[in-house]
Amino acid sequence: MAVVTLRNITKRYDGGAEAAVRDVSLDVGHGEFMVLLGPSGCGKSTALRMIAGLESISAGTLAIDGVRMNGVPAKDRDIAMVFQSYALYPHMNVRDNMAFGLRRRGLPRGEIDQAVSETAALLGLSPYLSRKPHALSGGQRQRVALGRAIVRKPKVFLFDEPLSNLDAALRVSMRAELIKLHQRLSATMIYVTHDQVEAMTMGTRICIMQAGGIVQTGAPLDIYRHPVNTFVAAFLGNPPMNLLPARLDRGQGSTLSVTMGDAQLALPPNLGNILLPHAGRDVIFGLRPEEICESSGAPPGAASLRTRVVAVEPLGAETLLVLAAAGCTSEIVARVSRDSMARAGETIDVHLNLAAMQLFDPQTTEVIPIQQEH
Amino acid sequence: MKRAGAREDAGLRTPWLALSGFLLPALVMYAAFTAYPVARTFWNAFHKVLPNGNETWVGFANLRAILNNDPTFWKAVGNTLAWALVSPVLEVSLGLLLALALYARIPFARFFRIAWFTPVLISYVVVGILWMWIYNYDWGVANELLRLVGLDAWTRPWLGNPATALPALIFVTTWMWTGFNMVVLLAALSSLPSEVLEAAELDNCGWGRKLWFVIVPLVRPTILNLIVLSFIGKMKIFDLVWITTHGGPLWSTETVSTYVYKRAFDWSTFDLGYPSAIAAIWFVFVLAGVLILTSLLRSRERLEF
Amino acid sequence: MNVSAEALYVEPTLRSARRPLAGHIARSLLLILLAGYTAFSAGPFLWLASMSLRTTSEISANHYALPSILHWEKFPAAWFGSSYGTYFLNSLEVVVAAVIVLTLIGAMAAFAFARYRFRMNRVLYFVIFSTIIFPPQITIISLFQVLVDYGLFNSLVGLTLVYIAFQLPLTVYILESFFARVPQDLFDAARMDGYSDGAIFWRVMLPIGLPAIATTVILNFILLWNEFLYAVVLIADDAKRTLPLGIQKFMGDQLEDIGMISTGMMISVIPVVILYVFFSEKLIQGMTAGAVK
Repeated sequence: MAVVTLRNITKRYDGGAEAAVRDVSLDVGHGEFMVLLGPSGCGKSTALRMIAGLESISAGTLAIDGVRMNGVPAKDRDIAMVFQSYALYPHMNVRDNMAFGLRRRGLPRGEIDQAVSETAALLGLSPYLSRKPHALSGGQRQRVALGRAIVRKPKVFLFDEPLSNLDAALRVSMRAELIKLHQRLSATMIYVTHDQVEAMTMGTRICIMQAGGIVQTGAPLDIYRHPVNTFVAAFLGNPPMNLLPARLDRGQGSTLSVTMGDAQLALPPNLGNILLPHAGRDVIFGLRPEEICESSGAPPGAASLRTRVVAVEPLGAETLLVLAAAGCTSEIVARVSRDSMARAGETIDVHLNLAAMQLFDPQTTEVIPIQQEH
Repeated sequence: MKRAGAREDAGLRTPWLALSGFLLPALVMYAAFTAYPVARTFWNAFHKVLPNGNETWVGFANLRAILNNDPTFWKAVGNTLAWALVSPVLEVSLGLLLALALYARIPFARFFRIAWFTPVLISYVVVGILWMWIYNYDWGVANELLRLVGLDAWTRPWLGNPATALPALIFVTTWMWTGFNMVVLLAALSSLPSEVLEAAELDNCGWGRKLWFVIVPLVRPTILNLIVLSFIGKMKIFDLVWITTHGGPLWSTETVSTYVYKRAFDWSTFDLGYPSAIAAIWFVFVLAGVLILTSLLRSRERLEF
Repeated sequence: MNVSAEALYVEPTLRSARRPLAGHIARSLLLILLAGYTAFSAGPFLWLASMSLRTTSEISANHYALPSILHWEKFPAAWFGSSYGTYFLNSLEVVVAAVIVLTLIGAMAAFAFARYRFRMNRVLYFVIFSTIIFPPQITIISLFQVLVDYGLFNSLVGLTLVYIAFQLPLTVYILESFFARVPQDLFDAARMDGYSDGAIFWRVMLPIGLPAIATTVILNFILLWNEFLYAVVLIADDAKRTLPLGIQKFMGDQLEDIGMISTGMMISVIPVVILYVFFSEKLIQGMTAGAVK
């Protein structure tokens, strides 16, 4: 049985034209790390706050462990939340910050102290128990906020973009710590973020939201490989998937090719057969940068495209090439080897791994399903 | 706390009980000791109110008497308005000059700031008595200084001469409040983004141009606030006058507040309705003054930008 | 074009740099002016301090000399002999009581205005805030009537109540703007920790708001300590006079006794000075906060 169940959850603010959250249904299983991912304003924080009990639910049902929680006050829901700004009480030291919630419950002093010291040890905060928040670094404050949640041993942990206020290096290390923590506690966690790297690395499942509704839910790699529309396709992956207007054209016999700008790329026969019904259709052609490489080392099934190099971005471990193909209005980004010798202004041939392509309908932006053995 | 849409979200509706708990004490005090008295003053204004509690309706009689038959009222209004219009100009411009002087990074700025702020903290009673002594004809600092530089002819009984009494008091309030204005303007100047000032520096403006065209417009909101504050303060003034000249000599320093007090509590007229009417008129006057002043000063701001 | 090495390091062409002497003179002149203004500003107060330690005869002989002997005994004489002690204690009672109650209910109201959304929020806030503009004459006559009606005329309790209402708008104004700036997350976290609204006010808002509260306490203390008009109208007995009234009465009765008047005034000024010495920054910030935009 799922720990957290949302059914048709909707949030409408007084005087608001659009609903902030529209008809969201989601199940979070026991021990899952569910990431709510989306651009700002998509409703993910609002949804989280409704689960927490900090916002009222306009319509729909929320249940935790099968028990309906719609009107239940936050403190009775057995959940803990880690806020983006940590929300540490500035006038209390670390120990009191962590014990604050427990004291309210009337637990005996000894139990509280023990729980606090255990959690502090778990998070490496033991030397800081007497310090006040202003004497701590960002990462330490983040851990205190975590500790405050852990010490309550809740059914569900909620995270509201907790790593956004940390600098890049700290974010990377905290990500790893959170993953370890999740495994160690076997806890159910719901995590809100706009950062797709966090979502991909930490989540057991990702739920992508846009404009108040859920677009796609699934395991990170599933969504990465099989996005349900162009929004999801472009949102995951950095640099984002190349999306180009194209057309499926019939060649001789049953061969199909993709026409992009001035180039016509023949599809491999297995793909051509599957897509035959769509011949003549305008599509959006999607291909991830890592599926494009320079001429040497091209995998079978790759089609060749002549391009002009617009810019070269050497990242050290790899190189990004920004390419322009004749007749294409958008630029193409390719992820190539770090040994690439390409220079801006040159004309080079690149190979596109068409086996990995995605096709989307230009009107609905939805994916055109291609069954393939991968 | 947002209003809940669904009926069942009892825990998340506006917590009226807690809110009332927080607001009621203050609102009760306000209602009992501010709102009700204001209303009652207006009520009094339309009555003749005798000490034994008898109240007789007189309609607009008080108002008419005040506006038509009361030269003292008009003298008081004139004095108070003069005070309220002259003081802001003096206090704020002097305060601005001093603030600019400190802003130019003079040494001992902190010391000066603390020293110049002190007059504001001293009770008007103490200030009044001190300045009565300063203005003393025989041995007061004012006249002693004049004698020192040979200007004997200029010595006079500053507070005893109807012609000089009001200016002398205006001088006192300027002494008190310039320091306050200086501190406020200094804070405003310090919070200006330094990039704008540096850009002006690079533009090679002269000192005067930089002042007028860059700095003053940037602190304009603060200047306006101070002018309005000063205006309001002078429209209310009582303590200083009461201690020093008591409204004299010959009503040259009579203000509306001293006149109201005298009519209500000092003279044996036994009618609280009349002074209440004066207070009511003055109340409307002050509100109108503030509104006019703010709209006048604000609108100029819009014109220039 | 050949540029010499020295020419690369050109000093910025400030006027004062080109003519250093003029710059120096200007600055010195400015300093002299400012010193003069300081004497003008603080002078009367220093003169008061000096006179409070001299006898009236000494003062009459030379009004502006520094005390040759420090007559500390004048202070107890003023306190006990001239009733300044009584006046001081009356002021202390009234002001301390008023400030305590005022701060508490002001903070509660400010908390409600700053952190809760309800329809009447801005309306009520404006209503209370706007009373700062009211000239006191609009209430003194009717307050006199009200206090008489309730038997609170000529009582320290009555005066205290009036003082509380008098300073409420300013207190609410200062605290509301501070309280509103605290991030919402803190309150959300407290709510999730299970605390009620009252508990959140007491355990979260007040401790965090302490700097602003301290400022209003000091401010209110000074403003009420010096308050004169309401005291004059609402207090009649000599035994109940507050310090400003006491000084005024003494001045009226003993106009010539400059020495004793000075000592009395000094007694009233000293608490303010002490607060100022310790809290000058806070005080200045608090009093000027509303005016800076």
